[in-house]
Amino acid sequence: MIRLQQLCKRYQLGDEPVQALDHVDLNIAAGEYLSVMGPSGSGKSTLLNMLGLLDTPDSGHYWLNEHEVSALSEEARAAERNRHIGFVFQAYHLIDRLSARENIELPLVLNSTPPAARRPRVDQLLERLGLDRHAEHLPHQLSGGQRQRVAIARAVIRKPQLLLADEPTGNLDSHSGRDVIELLEELNAEGITLVMVTHDPAMGRRARRRLWMQDGKLLKDEQDAYG
Amino acid sequence: MRSADYSRLTLRTLRASRMRSGLTILGIAIGICAVVLLTTLGAGIRLYVLENFSQFGSRIIAINPGKSQTGGTGGLLASTRPLLVADADSLRSLPYAEYVVPVVQGSGAIEFGRRVRYTDIIGTGSDMASAWRFEVARGRFLPDSRGSYPQPLAVLGHKVKQELFAEQNALGQFIRVGGERYRVVGIMAEKGQMLGFDLDDIVYIPVQRALSLFNRTGLMEIDVTYRPGIAADAMAEQVRQRLIGRHGVEDFSLITQDEMLQSMDRILAILTLAIGGLGGISLIVGAIGIITIMVTSVQERRAEIGLLRAIGATRRQVMRLFLGEAVLLALVGGCVGILVSGLALGGLALAIPALPIQLDPFYLLLALALSALVGLISGVLPARRAAGLNPVLALQSE
Amino acid sequence: MRTADLLRFNGRLLTGQWFRTLMTLLATAVGVAAVLLLTGMGEGARRFVLNEFNLLGNDVLIMLPGRKETSGGIPPLTGEGTRDLTLGDAEAVLHLPGVRNVAPLVVGLTQVEAEGRNREMMVVGTSPAFFTIRNIDTHQGQPLPQLPLDRAEPVCVIGPKVQQTLFDQQQVLGRWLRTGDRRCRIIGVLDSRGVSLGIDMSESVIIPVASAQQLFNTEGLFRLFIQVQHPGLIETLKPRVLDLIQARHQGERDITLITQDSLLGVFDDILQLLTLAVGAIAAISLVVAGILIMNITLISVSQRTSEIGLLKALGASEREVHRLFLSEALLMALLGSATGVVIGYGLLLLGHWLWPEFPVSVPLWALLGAITLAAAVALIFAWLPARKAARLPPVLALKGLTDAQR
Repeated sequence: MIRLQQLCKRYQLGDEPVQALDHVDLNIAAGEYLSVMGPSGSGKSTLLNMLGLLDTPDSGHYWLNEHEVSALSEEARAAERNRHIGFVFQAYHLIDRLSARENIELPLVLNSTPPAARRPRVDQLLERLGLDRHAEHLPHQLSGGQRQRVAIARAVIRKPQLLLADEPTGNLDSHSGRDVIELLEELNAEGITLVMVTHDPAMGRRARRRLWMQDGKLLKDEQDAYG
Repeated sequence: MRSADYSRLTLRTLRASRMRSGLTILGIAIGICAVVLLTTLGAGIRLYVLENFSQFGSRIIAINPGKSQTGGTGGLLASTRPLLVADADSLRSLPYAEYVVPVVQGSGAIEFGRRVRYTDIIGTGSDMASAWRFEVARGRFLPDSRGSYPQPLAVLGHKVKQELFAEQNALGQFIRVGGERYRVVGIMAEKGQMLGFDLDDIVYIPVQRALSLFNRTGLMEIDVTYRPGIAADAMAEQVRQRLIGRHGVEDFSLITQDEMLQSMDRILAILTLAIGGLGGISLIVGAIGIITIMVTSVQERRAEIGLLRAIGATRRQVMRLFLGEAVLLALVGGCVGILVSGLALGGLALAIPALPIQLDPFYLLLALALSALVGLISGVLPARRAAGLNPVLALQSE
Repeated sequence: MRTADLLRFNGRLLTGQWFRTLMTLLATAVGVAAVLLLTGMGEGARRFVLNEFNLLGNDVLIMLPGRKETSGGIPPLTGEGTRDLTLGDAEAVLHLPGVRNVAPLVVGLTQVEAEGRNREMMVVGTSPAFFTIRNIDTHQGQPLPQLPLDRAEPVCVIGPKVQQTLFDQQQVLGRWLRTGDRRCRIIGVLDSRGVSLGIDMSESVIIPVASAQQLFNTEGLFRLFIQVQHPGLIETLKPRVLDLIQARHQGERDITLITQDSLLGVFDDILQLLTLAVGAIAAISLVVAGILIMNITLISVSQRTSEIGLLKALGASEREVHRLFLSEALLMALLGSATGVVIGYGLLLLGHWLWPEFPVSVPLWALLGAITLAAAVALIFAWLPARKAARLPPVLALKGLTDAQR
């Protein structure tokens, strides 16, 4: 489903140039469960952003579903993101003034889906994730774990092909964190490709395929026998 | 805290959010610019009108027949108790009286050879040119007829001369005024327009002849100028008594130049104020801008304010800081506005020299003070908000 | 994004930051209200003046003695002509085809005396045609009787203020008063319709024109009103009247003819210009409001950087983000305009209620112009800040950083 070829990305940090991605090659099949680990500054978040079309490489190619997306216009990339890709962030990034329901349906609203069509889908997710009691609550009225679940619901409401999680349990206690991971794995079991960036080895080991990065290069690519 | 430090901190803050400060300043600048431009315009108009009226001299009293001042049309309508030429003559002997000018006005056909022109005809006396400060360009003005029926002599306004005689010499020539034969004895210098009335499109003839030409017995107006040394009111009273003596009753109305200018000035002052007020609307919106930005700023800098208080700043000092920001924003805006309007007015004055623009430094200082005031008023609300923040809560918001 | 959702999205934002929103609304409202108020007054004044002129009727020609070469300026309302307009001239004009009626006018000031009181008042010498041409009615008694123009009769019609001043509101019909050195019998009292083109009829005494000529010892007419059969004939009639008078005045064309339109034209232009100027000055304040909107939008963008990053991550394109911020500004401008419209009209109506003679009428162009300007200003001034938001790189934005802060 995903093919990265010789992806390069360089940033200017103050006076120093930083090679965030250094000729990265990667193939990901549909339905895979990957974790990306490495020290800070290794380029794992950059890789995630590349995969999520949030950023464009300086050189190299990215094929998503046989389409070359690395050179797409911003409009086209946005459309892809909306349809095929879901994000889960460490800081949740919910909009403070919108309720849980409204946060979840945001991708549908952006897509001009009429309210009548939105409602049942949101209700379904709310129930599945145990959030139906909090549907009208604002983010500041929810616990960290609940907020992340809302974020996950938002990420999957359009049934994307790819789910990208950047340190999803970083701000959570171990109990909530476990709930979140299990939820993500559940979704993966239903067919969504899951790529998770984490610095917690225990978290990373749960994935069936494990990538290590350092200084922008892909060092190790480990895969379980039964994937 | 020392004032220098206040200023330093304030400036630093404003510089840090340059875009924001710049836009706020721009808003005030536009407002001040509008006020200055419009007020100057109003003052210019006032000056223009007053100058136009003052061209007749300042120690002058106008007498019209009829008591009710129907908007100055008193002289136009017929009257049962007319003002006579004899009345005018009698005023000459008053102490301090300098010139006496009887006036009758009408219009008619002026002919020279084959050329005809319909113009205004003013019947008046020998004193007119001196009294109204009209210059005689060539020849002389109408002579004093000394009580007897005057000769048929005429003086032409600049435009009439041009139209009827072109470059030819007019002095000594014979023209027909309303069908009667007159000899040209003088040409007036070019005077221009006064409030729509073309002062050069006039022919002057002796008043008694004008009265018979227009078939009336009464004058429309008598102007009396007087020498310095007597107050306007006193002079007016003398004139009044003299005429009452002749008419038996006060069936005329007097107005001194002062009174006329005063009432006009009052109107124009109100007008200037109104026009300036229009500019003030923009200033009000600019002030709303300051308030909004400052309050937002206070909101954003809650933690900073908490910190300041934590390290010992008093409420007063915090208030002063924020008030100072608002005043500084407004003052800079005021300066920019004054600068821009100054440039605009300067450019305008160069382009159209005829415009009566006067850059009164007093107005500029006033505008500056106004902007400071605006800053002060706008800053009070946000400054008080800042000063009133609970330091503990404010710090927590970080 | 659907409009309803957009509104909801923005609306929540605006109510969240209610102070900011309120102030921005206020700024726009002040601007719009100012424009409406000022143009309302200007247009009202214009309508008032036009109305006054309209009472004249557009089937009336006014003839003045005297003529000025410098045309296009003020007609010779002042002064005399060398040759008088006579009653004979009036009669001659009356017989021109197309002329329905003529009313000669001799006006003067004199002492009017009755019941031991006297006052200087205006005396108007005319004919009964004057009443019909000028739409003046008597509410007691009758207008001037039909007489040959050159016959003087000791009768008069007085204005209501005369009744008040000289007679203390008592019954006046049939009583006598003295104008100058003549007496006349009151046969009618005018309707209280005061001023008409500058002449306040309410404190005047109307007598037959021949009586006035005797009173003021003058033959020349002050004015001659000519009423034509219907308005379309005025243009054809003008030259004929001029020719007639020229023939009667020994080849001199020493009269001026004015129609209501020519007088109207001058005033109309001046007042329209004034209204426009005043409206434009008030509109400057809308520009200042626009600057505030720009400022607010910039602040909004910098405060919502991570939100922008999120929206982009969710698939909002640059254009959509741009539109989002633009619509926020537009919404504020429209709400502000609506408030301003309410305030503006409210103030105008208040003024009208307090002073009923105060004419209020907001021209449509001003209303539409103000609202359009407010909206346009909001769009223009929010354009750049919104573009800045749209251009934010999503990765950085999510971190809460804008480009400059890297």
